[in-house]
Amino acid sequence: MNETATSRFSGWWASFRPRLTPYLFIAPNLVLFSVFIFFPLLYAAFISVHEWSLIDEPFYIGAENYTRLLTDYQFWQAMKNTVIYSVATVPTSLAIGLLLAVGLDRDLYARTFLRSIYFLPVVVSSVATAIIAAWLFNDHYGVINALLKLVGIQPVAWLSTTSWALPSIIITTLWTRVGFCMVVYLAALQSISPTYYEAASIDGATRLQQFRHVTWPLLRPTTFLLLILNVIHSFQVFDLIFVMTGGGPGFSTTMIVQYIYQSAFATSEMGYASAMGIVLFLLILLFTLLQWRVNMRTEEFV
Amino acid sequence: MTQFINRRTILKTGAGLGAGLVTGALGMPALAQEKQLTFAVWGGDSEVAGYRNVIAKFESANPGVKVKLDVMPFAQFYQQVDTRLAGRQAPDLFRVTYQQIGRYANNKAAIDLTQYLEKDFGKGFTPAVWSAVNVKGTPYALPHHTDTFALFYNEELLEKANIAVPSSLDEAWTWAAFIDNAKKLKTQGGSSYPFAMSWQNGAVHRWMFYLYQHGGRLLSEDLTASRITEKAGIETIAWTQSWFTEGLVPPSTSVKSAEKVQNLFANGTIAMMLNGNWQIPFVEQQMKAKWGVTYLPRDVAMADDLGGTCVAVSRDSKTPELAAEFVKFLVNEENMRSFVNTAQLLPVRTSIVDKGIEFSLRPNEMKVFVEQTKTIPEHLVSTVIHPNWGRFNPKMADELDLAFTSGQSAEQTAENIQAHIERLLLRA
Repeated sequence: MNETATSRFSGWWASFRPRLTPYLFIAPNLVLFSVFIFFPLLYAAFISVHEWSLIDEPFYIGAENYTRLLTDYQFWQAMKNTVIYSVATVPTSLAIGLLLAVGLDRDLYARTFLRSIYFLPVVVSSVATAIIAAWLFNDHYGVINALLKLVGIQPVAWLSTTSWALPSIIITTLWTRVGFCMVVYLAALQSISPTYYEAASIDGATRLQQFRHVTWPLLRPTTFLLLILNVIHSFQVFDLIFVMTGGGPGFSTTMIVQYIYQSAFATSEMGYASAMGIVLFLLILLFTLLQWRVNMRTEEFV
Repeated sequence: MTQFINRRTILKTGAGLGAGLVTGALGMPALAQEKQLTFAVWGGDSEVAGYRNVIAKFESANPGVKVKLDVMPFAQFYQQVDTRLAGRQAPDLFRVTYQQIGRYANNKAAIDLTQYLEKDFGKGFTPAVWSAVNVKGTPYALPHHTDTFALFYNEELLEKANIAVPSSLDEAWTWAAFIDNAKKLKTQGGSSYPFAMSWQNGAVHRWMFYLYQHGGRLLSEDLTASRITEKAGIETIAWTQSWFTEGLVPPSTSVKSAEKVQNLFANGTIAMMLNGNWQIPFVEQQMKAKWGVTYLPRDVAMADDLGGTCVAVSRDSKTPELAAEFVKFLVNEENMRSFVNTAQLLPVRTSIVDKGIEFSLRPNEMKVFVEQTKTIPEHLVSTVIHPNWGRFNPKMADELDLAFTSGQSAEQTAENIQAHIERLLLRA
C-alpha cells in the first residue's frame, strides 16, 4: 500500500516540480512587491475614502476627498508646477545625456574617468545633494552668487523669489540626472553594429545624417525607456523641494508629492493625501500606457 | 516518503528549531529582570545633555529601571511619533510642544495623568503652561520648560549707527521707533539687512504675538469665532508685510523658507534678530562680534510667544505608572532647575520663577527672556493650544507667505485666513 502511495506522490511531484521552479524564482520579488507596493496601494485606495489623522481611527466619508481635489487651488498649482518641472527636466536631461554619451563613446584619453565623474551625482544621496544645493544657491552666503559677483553680475535671489526658485531646482535636478541618461545611452550606442555606419558612409551620408538616420532610430527603445523613467522620477520629486524651499516662496515650487507629504504629516489628513496619491498613480499609469501605444505604432525595423 | 524524511532533513530541522529556542531563551531573561522606558525627544546638544543627566539620576535612584533616550531630528519628530502611534508602538514618553499636545490629548494618544498626580499638583506651575497641558480640566502632560522671544542685536553695528537699546521693559521701543532704527541701520551700512524674524519651519504661530501687541485677536474671547478680519488684524498683516516690501528683512526669511536666521545673525548679514533663548549657546559659540539681547518692540501692548515643551505618556506604554513616575521626577524642582540651566531654557515652576534663577551662561541676557515670559497673553495661549491648531498652522503659513513674498494684499490675506479658521480650526 505504502509503495503505491509513495510512487504516486513522487510521480506527481516529478511532473509538478518543473512548473513550480519559475514561481520559486520570482517568489522573493513577488513577496516583497506585494508586501511593500501592492497591498499598500490597495490600502491607500481604502484610506482615500476615509478621514484619518494617524493617531485616531479612520472615519468613512465617501468620495469627499476626491471632490475636494477638484476645487483645491493648491493641488492644481502643484500639478502645474510638476508638469512644468517635468517638461523642463526630462527632454533636457535626455538631450544632454545623449550628447555626453555620443561624445564619450569614442576612444578618448581618460574616458573611464570622465564617465565616472558624470555618473557620480546619480549615486549621491538626494538629500545630501539638496542640502549642498541649498547652500550653493543661498542668497547671502552661497557660492554661486559669490562667483557671479566675481564676474560682475548682480547676485540673484535664487531661493527666495518666485521666478528663480523653480529654475534652481531644475538646475540641481539636471545635475543629478544627466549621468544616468548618459550611461544608459552609452550602453545602447555600443550595441549598435558598426556595419550600419559603414553602409551609411558608403552611401555617402555625413556624420549628422548618420546620426539622424542610423543612430537615432536605433536608440528609440532606449529613449522610450529613459523617457518613462525620467517622467516617473520627475513626477515623484520630493526631497529636493522639501530641503531646498519647503514648497515656497508662495506656491512656486509646490509639487505633487511634496503637497501629499504636507497633507499627510503636517495637516494630518491621511485620507486626502491618499486620494492625491491614487490620482498620481493613475496619471503615471495613463502616461505609461499612452507612451507604450505611441511607441508600438511608430516602431521601425531597420 | 523516505526520500523526504531521512537523516539529513531531521538534522537540519533539529538545528533550526534549536537555534530558534536558544535565541528565544536568550531574550527572555532580559525582559524579566529589567524594566525599560523609551523617551523620544528632539534637541540640541545642551538639551540632550540635560535629559541624560536626569535619566542617570533616575536610574541610580531606581535600580533595575533603564530609560532609553531616543533623539530624533525636529523636522521629522511628529511624523515619527504619529506613525509609531498608528503602529501601536509609540515610545512610553515623548516630548511635545504646548501647541501640539491638544491634538494628542483629544485623540487619546496621550494618557490622562490625573490618577498619578497628587491633589493640587498643577498649582506648582505657572498658570499659562498648566492651562496649556489641560484639556477640559484633565492634565495630559506635565510642563517641563518654556521659551520665549526677545531681540538679539549686534553691539558693534548698533554702536556704529548710534542706536541705544532699551534697558528695561518699560523703555521697550515702539513699533515706529523699531522701524526707524531699522532704517537707520539700513542706511548706515555694515550689514546687508537690518533684521530678521525666526518664524520658519512650521513656527508661523509666532506671528501672533505681533497681532496681540497691536491689540488684535485671531479668535474671539470664547474662541468660537474669527476676529482676524478686524482692522487690527489687517494692519498687523500689512505691518509685517512692509518689512519685506521695504527691504528691512532678507526676502529669504519668509515663513515657508528653510533659511536659518541665526546663521545670518552670526555671519553679520543681519544686525538684529528676533529669536528665542535656546539660540544663546549657538550664538555664543559662532558669533565673532559682540552681541546682546534686549526687549521686543511693543505697540499698544507688549506680548510674546509661548514656546517650550511638556512631556506626555503615550497610550502604547506598557508601564504607564513607571512612566508617570519618571515624568514627575523630570519636572520636580531640583531637576527642572538644573535642566533649564544646562539647556538655556526657562523654568515653569512658580517656586523657581519667584526665587529667581542664575544662569551660568549669559545671565543678563537670560534675565531679559525671563521678564518677557511675564508678557505672554493668556488668550494667546488658549488660542494656540486649540486641538485643531496643528491642521490650521500650515495654512496660515501659506497665506502669510503669499502676503510677504507674492504681494497678496493684507485684506485678501485676512479673508483667506478667516476661511481656513472656519474650515479647519473651528469645526469640531
